[in-house]
Formats: sequence, C-alpha cells, structure tokens
Amino acid sequence: MDYLLHIGVMVNIYILLALAANLPAGMTGLLSLCQAAFYGLGTYLAALWLLPWQLPIIFIAVLVMLFGGVVSLLISYASLKLKGDYFILATLGFQMLVFTILYNWTDVTHGPYGVAGIVGVQIFGWGLGKLSSVAAYFLVSAFFVGMVVCLFLHLRHSPFGRLMKAVRDDEIAVQALGRNPDRVKFHSFFLSAAFSALAGLLYASYIGYIDPTSFTLDESIFILCALFIGGVGNVKGPVAGAVFVIILPEILRFIGLPDAQAANLRQIIYGLALILAMYFRPQGICGEKGVLRL
Amino acid sequence: MFWQFLFNGFVTGCLYSLAAVGFALVYNTTHIFHIAAAGVYTAAAYFFYFAAKYLGVAIIPAALAALLFAAFFNVACEIFVYRPLSRRNASSMVVMLASIGSLTIIVNVIAMLFGNETKIIDSAIASSFRLGSLIISQPQAWQLFVSAAMLAVFVIWLRQSTFGLKARALGNNSALFAVFGFDAARTRLGCFALGGVFLGAASCLSAYDIGLSPHGGMPVLLNAMVAMIIGGVGRFFACIAGGILLGVLQALVVWQFAANWQNAVTFTLLIVFLFFRPSGLFGSRTRAV
Repeated sequence: MDYLLHIGVMVNIYILLALAANLPAGMTGLLSLCQAAFYGLGTYLAALWLLPWQLPIIFIAVLVMLFGGVVSLLISYASLKLKGDYFILATLGFQMLVFTILYNWTDVTHGPYGVAGIVGVQIFGWGLGKLSSVAAYFLVSAFFVGMVVCLFLHLRHSPFGRLMKAVRDDEIAVQALGRNPDRVKFHSFFLSAAFSALAGLLYASYIGYIDPTSFTLDESIFILCALFIGGVGNVKGPVAGAVFVIILPEILRFIGLPDAQAANLRQIIYGLALILAMYFRPQGICGEKGVLRL
Repeated sequence: MFWQFLFNGFVTGCLYSLAAVGFALVYNTTHIFHIAAAGVYTAAAYFFYFAAKYLGVAIIPAALAALLFAAFFNVACEIFVYRPLSRRNASSMVVMLASIGSLTIIVNVIAMLFGNETKIIDSAIASSFRLGSLIISQPQAWQLFVSAAMLAVFVIWLRQSTFGLKARALGNNSALFAVFGFDAARTRLGCFALGGVFLGAASCLSAYDIGLSPHGGMPVLLNAMVAMIIGGVGRFFACIAGGILLGVLQALVVWQFAANWQNAVTFTLLIVFLFFRPSGLFGSRTRAV
C-alpha cells in the first residue's frame, strides 16, 4: 500500500510541475527550459529556511510560491526582449546558472552533499495524527493538486485564460485589441514558477533529502517531455503526461531488467514517445488540438 | 603558469570552435535548433572507441572512419527526423522537441550498449614536450594542429566554393533559394554532412585526450551554442572566434578563481550577450531578434 501511495505522491508532484510548465509552453506559447530551476529554488528555500521553523504548511506554501514568482520576473523580462530561439537559449542559460549556484555555493546550499534530514511539514501545527507519513503526504499533495487543477479548469474559460491563448496564437492581434501581451507573459510565468516552487516544497518535505542533481537541465527536459507527451493547452493533457512518465518506470520494473539498463530503457521510451507524438499526434495523449502547428 | 592556462584555454577553444561550426552549419542554413547534435557528437566518439578498442583499427584510420560515421549520422537525423517534419511545415518548437527526443534516444541507446561510465581510449600517460615554459601534451598538439587545419580550410573553402555560397544563400532565404532552381534539400543534406564531420572531429579529438561518456555531448554542445552566440549568429568565422574566446575566458576563470565556476561565467556571458548584443561580437547587425 505504501508503495502505491509513494507513486501517488510522485505523480502528484509531477502533475503540479507539468501543469506549471503548461502555462508558458502550452497556454502562452513560450517554451522555457528552466522549469527545473524554479522547482529547485522552491525546494532549497523550503528545505533550508522555511521547513526548520515548523510553520503551518499553508504559510510556507505561500512564501515559497511568492519566492518562485518573484524570481520568475527575470525570465518574463527576458521573454519581452527576446523572441524565438533566443528566448529559449536565455532560459537555458538561466537553468544552468541556477544549477551551478546550487551546486557550487557550498556555504549556503551544501553543494553536492545536498541537504539531509529535512523536517517534514506540519499542518496547522499538529502534525498528521495517526496516518502513516506516506499516506499523510499523499493527502497533502492530493489536496494541493486538487486546488491547482480546479484553478486551471476555471482558468481555461476565464478571461485571463483566453487572453493567454490569444497571446499564443497572435500577439499582434491582442495588441490591436487593446490588451497588453507583456502583462500576460508576466502573469503566466509568475504562476508557472509559483506552482513549480510549490511542487519543490512538497518534494523537499516528502523525500527529506535533496541535492542539486535533481534540478538539472535534464530535469527541465523531463518535465517538458511529460508535458508534451501528455499534450498541451488544457488540463487533461499535462495530468495524463505526468501519470504516464511516473507510472511507466514502475511497469518496466516488472520486466526484470538490471537497474542501470532499466533507467536507460525508460529514457529511450520517453524520447521515442516524444518524437512519435511530434510526428503523429502533436496534441499528445489528450491535449488540446491545434496548439502545436504541424 | 599564466601562459600555460592561456594555451590550454586556446586549445579547448579550438575544440569549441569545431563543435560550434558543426552546430552552426545546421543552424545558420536551416534554422533548425539541432540539439541532437550532442547525440551525434557522442555517437562519433563511441564509434571511434569501438573501432580502436574492439576492432583493433589504428588510431588515425579509426578517427577518419568516425568522421565519416558522424557525417552519415547527422544526415540520418535530417532524413528521418527533420525532413518529414519540415514537409509538414512544423513550427520550430515542434522540431526542437523532436530533436530533444532524438538526443534522448541516441544517448541512452549508447549507454545501454556501452555502459554509463567514462571510457578511456589510450590509457598510457600521454607523452608531452616543452616549448619554453609551456608543456604541450601529445593529444593537445593533435587537437591544435587538426582543428586549426580544418577550420582554416573550411573558412577559405566556404568563401571560394559554390557550395559555400549556396549554404549562405539557403540560410538567408530558403524559399528564394528554391525559386532560383537550386535543390534546397540537397544543399541541406550537404550542410548536415559537413556539420557531422566537424562535430565528429571535435568529438574524436576530445575523446582521445580525456575519454568519453554517453552524457558528454550536451555540455560540449552548450559551450558550442554559447560560442556561436557570442561570436555572432550567421557567420562561420564569428563562430570560430567565439569558440576560442570562450575557451580562453574559461581557462582564465580557472586560473583566477576555480574550475567549478566555469559554467557560471559561461552562462552569464550568454545571457549578457543575448540581452545587450544579440548579434554577437562579429555578427551582422541587421538580424532581427
């Protein structure tokens, strides 16, 4: 049972990450390669400063999300100045910089040794009663995911959601209609970074040990894989993608390959799924049709 | 010590230049963000390793075969991944994601076949010679000599040959290029093949010196991209200058601070250039960002 719940927690974390990545990439049309940077920053902020204080989790979550959002201002500023490949390169640079800082600024982040013994979350100061810790974390993460999914379902049909999609489809038309596309970009990155950081908080408190190698460029690419395999633009797609990338290795476990090979095989399947999706089904498993022009 | 660092940086820079030219041959002409180039780079190194270690081919023929292999591999990427997508007018985001997918597949297939650990081709300690106060190892001499020769021949050839002219024309406006009756698909293949040769050369030269691992391609490709941006997109000569500049700068960072801050400087440089001088040091100014 704990095994299933563990998978459940990881699925929840990746649903948050994929939904967060969907905001800029799927809704606003800006591919960013630095989702793992926000995820990592949220994780480190929570692990080093917020969790040791034993504050209520809602309070910590708000602080972490605010922090992620504020950092995202850098990226959204870049998105105003740079277009196309140049913007993607800038996000890539930002991702590498954040990783290098997490890895090398040993005085603060403990560098490659990572942060061990992270204090778990407290709900309103009482802990989680008699539930096993995995079950408790599953409930907490499911609560957050539920909130975020509801928010996104609402967002799709709200004026703000429509505006984001309009920016994705035709920025100049949006300007012509008297709306400010720059503001939309700021908002979408702010929310995206905030939810990525929230996933970081859940990860830090659940796993209890973090090190910078969980937040590399490869992780950013992995998040994008999950997103684009699932499909972009709506809520179903990212959720399906996150479930796919987390469940797949568990299924492969039963084939009985040695561990190292299983990891490689998993990556091969992700890569293949991504290419096949791009060829035959750009909307992914169940994303919105027509977002990725083919 | 300063001159030694400068020299080492220069040699590393030459390798970046090779890789940057390999990447730019595709990017400047087709505007494809060829991330799978990192996979081609890795595959060439492993082909070299396989030929030299398992088949017992001598080092130089093995390296030449690896160059050929890299050229074919790069062409295969175009034929099987990019061409079908460009036929359907895929957006650059789709092409890039497909490229990321290809890279993932290539790297992990290699890791499954050869293992994840770093391999060494020549385990003997490399001989070295002194030039004044400089110590030059034998692989370094090879790197310097081969890359300088290749880059020089390339720059001259690109200026003089019809292919060079075609490549630049294709990069400028591919639709107009086709209107004038040239075969855009064939020129693209030529660019991919030549790009593969340069990637393979960078890969073999570095594998001979420091060994190879399945995940070694991406860091080199990132450096090559940064070299291309700081040199200037659209010009091959600028790539070469950017690569050498980046290599020297990284060496100076190691000399003054520490090796682990190399990446921080590299990517700060990338961001500074993207914001304040997106056309690079020597790029054409007219290019829209």
